[in-house]
Amino acid sequence: MLLSINWLKEFVPFTGTIQELDDALTMLGLEVEEVIRPFEGIKEMVVGYVVECEKHPEAEKLSVCKVDVGEEEPLNIVCGAPNVRKGLTVAVVKVGSVMPDGTKIKKTKLRGIPSMGMICSERELGFSEEHDGIMELEEGLVPGANLVESLKLDDEVLDISITPNRADSLSVLGIAREVALAFDLPLTVPEYNLVESGDDCSEEVTIEIADADKCYCYHGRILEGAAIGQSPAWMRYRLVAVGLRPISNIVDVTNYIMMGFGQPLHAFDLDRLEGGKIVVDTAAEGEKFVTLDEQERTLKADDLMIKDGSRSVALAGVMGGANSEIHDGSTRIFLESAVFQPASVRRTARRLGLSSDASFRFERGVDQLQCPEAMDRAAAMLADLTGATVRKGVCKAEPKPWVAPELTFRPQRCRDLLGVAIEDSFCKATLEKLGCVVTGTDSETWTVVPPSNRLDYEREVDFIEEVARVYGMDRIEPVLPQVKRTLEARNDDCNEYEFWSLIKTWGCGLGLNEAINYSFVGHTDLDLFNLPKDNRITIMNPLSSEQDAMRTELAPGLLQNLRHNLGHGNTGLRLFELAHIFEADETSDTTVRESGRLNILFYGDRFDSAYPRMASEAEYADMKGCVEHLLAHLHVGEPSFTLADEHAWMSPAVDVVVGDQKIGTIGRINPEIADAYNAKKDVWFADLDTDVLRKLYVSACVKFASLPVHQSAWNDITVIAPITLNVQAIFDQVAATKLPLLEKMELIDVFVPEAAEDAEQTRNLTFRLTFRHSSKTLKDKDVDKERKKVVYSLENALPVRI
Amino acid sequence: MSLIHELESLVQELNSGLDQAFSLTAVEDLRVAFLGRKGKLAQIMQRLPELSPEERPEVGKTANIVKNKLTGLLDECKTKLESAAEADKLAKFDPSMPGRMPWQGSLHPVTKVMTEICDIFKGLGYDIVTGPEVENDFYNFEALNLPPEHPARDMQDTLYVTDNILLRTHTSPMQARTMLKQEPPLAIIAPGKVYRRDSDLTHTPMFHQIEGLLVGEKVSLAELRGTLTAFLQEVFGPETKVRFRPSFFPFTEPSVEVDISCCMCGGDGVVDCQPCRVCKQTGWVEILGCGMVDPEVFKKVGYDPEKYTGFAFGLGVERVAMLKYGIGDLRMFFENDVRFLNQFI
Ligand SMILES: [Zn+2]
Repeated sequence: MLLSINWLKEFVPFTGTIQELDDALTMLGLEVEEVIRPFEGIKEMVVGYVVECEKHPEAEKLSVCKVDVGEEEPLNIVCGAPNVRKGLTVAVVKVGSVMPDGTKIKKTKLRGIPSMGMICSERELGFSEEHDGIMELEEGLVPGANLVESLKLDDEVLDISITPNRADSLSVLGIAREVALAFDLPLTVPEYNLVESGDDCSEEVTIEIADADKCYCYHGRILEGAAIGQSPAWMRYRLVAVGLRPISNIVDVTNYIMMGFGQPLHAFDLDRLEGGKIVVDTAAEGEKFVTLDEQERTLKADDLMIKDGSRSVALAGVMGGANSEIHDGSTRIFLESAVFQPASVRRTARRLGLSSDASFRFERGVDQLQCPEAMDRAAAMLADLTGATVRKGVCKAEPKPWVAPELTFRPQRCRDLLGVAIEDSFCKATLEKLGCVVTGTDSETWTVVPPSNRLDYEREVDFIEEVARVYGMDRIEPVLPQVKRTLEARNDDCNEYEFWSLIKTWGCGLGLNEAINYSFVGHTDLDLFNLPKDNRITIMNPLSSEQDAMRTELAPGLLQNLRHNLGHGNTGLRLFELAHIFEADETSDTTVRESGRLNILFYGDRFDSAYPRMASEAEYADMKGCVEHLLAHLHVGEPSFTLADEHAWMSPAVDVVVGDQKIGTIGRINPEIADAYNAKKDVWFADLDTDVLRKLYVSACVKFASLPVHQSAWNDITVIAPITLNVQAIFDQVAATKLPLLEKMELIDVFVPEAAEDAEQTRNLTFRLTFRHSSKTLKDKDVDKERKKVVYSLENALPVRI
Repeated sequence: MSLIHELESLVQELNSGLDQAFSLTAVEDLRVAFLGRKGKLAQIMQRLPELSPEERPEVGKTANIVKNKLTGLLDECKTKLESAAEADKLAKFDPSMPGRMPWQGSLHPVTKVMTEICDIFKGLGYDIVTGPEVENDFYNFEALNLPPEHPARDMQDTLYVTDNILLRTHTSPMQARTMLKQEPPLAIIAPGKVYRRDSDLTHTPMFHQIEGLLVGEKVSLAELRGTLTAFLQEVFGPETKVRFRPSFFPFTEPSVEVDISCCMCGGDGVVDCQPCRVCKQTGWVEILGCGMVDPEVFKKVGYDPEKYTGFAFGLGVERVAMLKYGIGDLRMFFENDVRFLNQFI
């Protein structure tokens, strides 16, 4: 809400600084967002008086003027406007001054005649779109005086953020009430004088309200003999200052009263209303209606309409219709002032995407008792500005008159809730200052009747808030409470937050960078990863097609991070992300299953710095080791890694299994997918299910095993195996041999000799076998015996040589 | 030549040998040559039976002395060589050679701030709870006193999945979810992702919030202020001033907007004689919204609003991170540029 300080001062005699006003309003809950100076762009302009005006000798459309700007000599200005003439008072930008758009005015020559400035049109001044000619100012202004000051423009405007509960503050009057409260000032609401004439017209237009729930009251006045035209300059300046576009004297008055008093009004051309009546009723389902912005709207059966005897003429509380709008030839006006049900207006405005200043106020609630007065103020002003006569009487219907609720207030409850010892007398005085009628203050429970402008007073707690607000929220002394909990509610299981924290700490400690990506991606991203379509959650109203689906995998986000980082020259990446993936699930109360995932991405340089590290690139072993490290960290048991049959976006893809639980998959992003993200090297990836991991983690227990007493002995064997034989097969075979003394078997070297032609490619795998006896130290011959068993077992079961 | 003389000449012989020994191996070779099992000394002593029993003790004595002398000479030379080698090693040592850095990881600034805040409240006795990011209209709006046609729904532009299912616009649904499961007294903190249909310099369509809720008997606004003051001073430093001003949220009454003294300018509004950009010269920055739980919310979850009162607060994690670390551009949080991430080690 834009509030002009000058306008405010007409309602309350505030004399303080703008900073004081800003602070006071903000601390009362009317947050001042900023101080706007709407005429900052024209602050250097001055008033000019055209002393002489002659045709340019070389150019028919130009005039050469001598303009008095308060200096010794009048300025020579060449002007192209058709309406420039001797004796006009005009707005002048002098050489060296700046236009609102930033252009600096320079001394120029037009067809040989020097011009020392410029005379401005309304558009150049920002007052309207008018630019067919220069703006003609009122007579009597002092040449050379500052334009902004001379026109008494509203040069300071506060942009105040009004919370949805404070409908009462959506007007100059409403904010003036708060200013009066803050600074203990009287209200000085401008007087008006309505002169009615002629016969009583209250029966000329009958008001029928078919849906009393949606229209609480409807008042109308008839004005005749109006001369439509531009509204006076002061009104146009003011409307511009508070962000409204001047249209015509009739429409401008309705807007002016709305901004001043908060009551939206609508002016119909009475001659275009048919059948001498107004019917407030809902639309026909599918009815087409053209609003005054020339848009055809399709209506629903619960849209509230203003109709005349034969058709719809306005969307109630939202926007008038083109068929009954005021136009250049209008002389008879039907002025509407009504109160509509907030929810109804909001539904219609929202559905049609048509929020107007009127609907904004109706949605939040307007003061029903003030409704007729606002209409009368507008009528008086219209009479004044258009020359219309206001007919005697009001056409009206009020099926649901305002009934003030009777509410209660307990000062002790107020003290308890606020935690402050506020006196009864302060509570009473505050409520009364806010317009409430307070009775029964000698008992513990008071009766409070709120004023009609405060529809937000519905319960005791609303009054408690008001007491706190006026007392000063910031004066409340802080007290640290004791936190009490019940034994039953304690939950010591590791919840998702705690488990994720554990993994994040692990990841950071290991040397990975935590990433966070949006939960939504584009369907096209998921398509690129060949992901199924049937389980996706689609966003109904996405901001863009890149964010129209909830992710069913974290990979697209991390790949986008990869692309971003490569684009910025970052060469080695070790990213991880913990987040939910989203899949359709009819059994869920939200229709969505959210599962926890840990994804890890390795790309490019293995180390951040070069020397003394060797330059090398991340490979499968890095990712596998990383995952093994995590599983060891979580004590969830030995994982096995087996090639997955197929995978939508990784190849190779390796399933990670602990016991009979699949934990996830690790592998390399398909090269054609990686290529789409500008990754030229292998992208190694892990996709792990943190829900499964958490279950394993919660049931894992750490048990101490006593340290061996006797020394171990080791022996190395080199196995020559076909290159296609998995190392795991050798480990498995040795394990199957069940040697009680074999404590550990490690692969310590791999060598791939050059194969002779048409010989099978082999590799030499060297294993270190560690043996230990629990009750004695092993001798060489014991170890040799064990080694032979290993050799025998391998040579018999596998196509290998030792 | 007598054996004694022969023995004594070994000393001279070793001395000249050591003069040519410039390495530890050479010294070791000499040790073997002189004192080894088949070394010179042993060879001489093998001839001991040649002597008469009377002469033997004298020779034996001399052999011992010579052996000690030889050992001494060898050790002396070895020590000399070792200290020379050590000195040489130290002379070549270059402390400015780069270190072999292990990988350096980082937590996302959002995680860092979230963890810090959750830890503070854990310490105060709050339970941490989490819940779904895709929500029902009921938990996100209805249960929080936001009926369908309430204008306050405009305060949060919502991303919908269906007319009734949406991406939660705040972490507040966890209030109703917790209260429907649990009876007072309770104190919870709910961190998580939230979504709004909004994207510009100061808004991203996804961000993080932390919701707090405490319900009990006679919980007061003064206690809310105490709790938030304690927490904000812990996060932003003990000098931080906390300002309460009235606001509006449908699920709290009274509702409060909380400002803290600007951490950039210390509340002066001026940094290095320039207007402070963080607080726009006001000296205050908005940090969170809070209030006393609205009785309507208690009614929706079946709590008696006469018996119980409570407070709730919600704050944006990115906002805290931006203020705390001086991050100017919100979008950087979700680009995951490692040059950004590595600053939050
Ligand atoms: Zn500042």
